[in-house]
Amino acid sequence: MSFILELVLYAAIGTSYWWWSQNLSFYGLAPNLLFAAALAAAILAGPVKAIAWGFFLGLYADMLGAGTLGGYALTYSLLAYAVHTLKRHFDMAGLFPQLVAALALSWLSMFFYQGLSLAFSRVNPLGVKIFLVEPFLNALAVPVVFQVFHGLKRRTGIL
Amino acid sequence: MSREKDAANYALVFFAALSALLLLLPASKFAHAARIAVSYSLYPSMHYGAKYGHFVRNVPSNFVKLLETDQENRALKDRVRDLELKLRNASALTAENERLASALRLSRSLPWSGTWARVVNKTPSDWYGSFYIDKGSRQGVSVNDTVLGMQGERAGLAGRVLEVYPEFSKVLLLTNGAASAVCAIEPGGLEALVEGRGARLLKMNYVPEESALAEGAELVTSPGGLLFPPGVSVGRVTRVYPRESFMNFITADVSPAVDVNTLKEVFVVKRNISGDMAWVRLGDKK
Repeated sequence: MSFILELVLYAAIGTSYWWWSQNLSFYGLAPNLLFAAALAAAILAGPVKAIAWGFFLGLYADMLGAGTLGGYALTYSLLAYAVHTLKRHFDMAGLFPQLVAALALSWLSMFFYQGLSLAFSRVNPLGVKIFLVEPFLNALAVPVVFQVFHGLKRRTGIL
Repeated sequence: MSREKDAANYALVFFAALSALLLLLPASKFAHAARIAVSYSLYPSMHYGAKYGHFVRNVPSNFVKLLETDQENRALKDRVRDLELKLRNASALTAENERLASALRLSRSLPWSGTWARVVNKTPSDWYGSFYIDKGSRQGVSVNDTVLGMQGERAGLAGRVLEVYPEFSKVLLLTNGAASAVCAIEPGGLEALVEGRGARLLKMNYVPEESALAEGAELVTSPGGLLFPPGVSVGRVTRVYPRESFMNFITADVSPAVDVNTLKEVFVVKRNISGDMAWVRLGDKK
């Protein structure tokens, strides 16, 4: 049952991200809900599940884009591992650590993905506008997504 | 803790290797199959998202439009209310106009001179007794002037002026229990007294037993009456009662020619009754 619920949640996040970026983007800018979900799942779930969530959410992002397949999957898998490591030293359930982690990991992820993309596809996937603004939008989205996931985990036991 | 760390490491290695495979072999069968599989799994959400996205795509602009529509709706409702009021007013004016036009046409055919007056007040407690009209002594109305009402195309006796004030007058209706008129039964001209009784119907008294009075007989004011001009329609006999054993006369119910419930305007006939008739007051049977 928990597995089915997680599948539903995964599809819901993917759809929300896709729909938001299609319909509610402002000058081409929208929070990266997949990133926010990967981070929130990494904070709440155990290490294996967190990395799996990161991988599959990254795969979703790869499928929506036309870039290198597996780039985001690897990026978000590493993100989940980094959060797992950070959790040992910081209380990631607090708002401030989440904001800082979202900002810092957003930029790190972007750099990493850009490096992968340049290395494997010879393309630069991210514009300056996204690079400068999206981390802040992500920082706003992460606490919200975290609260949603936290509520779902408390009620249904998923993650 | 160490076991958890190991699990995390193994998971990372596994998923990193999987990702690396996808990255390193983008054109391989494996990568292609993975892309197809994931794309296929994404299809429903994207398909239905696109299908129903139009419901929420224009939410902000639709919300503004909704507010504007609401404001417009309120303004239109107010306007409709105003127009309905105007329409009702116009309907009342049209009806009045028709009545007055009809009355004017009739007044030209009436053999008497007089003035039209509007019924301005009816008292529910004295509904069949009296009402006020908007013409008084300044318009030439005098006490005991005959008041006619129009019923369709015909003029009928409604009553007489009882009290006169400068700008309005009080009319004593024929249906008042204190009112009466000497009538002639058409076509023979046999005279009888018609009296009001405070109700819709009138009562006819003093009809000789041997008269051939029948239901439906027409009554008009008698030339022998003092207050009313002769020949004015008073009503129609609706029921004839048999003679009482102790009386020499028969009685009948009379439906008045004028229904006081529907009167809006009346025609006041100037009678110019001489001063020696000034003693005629309420309760005088004439």
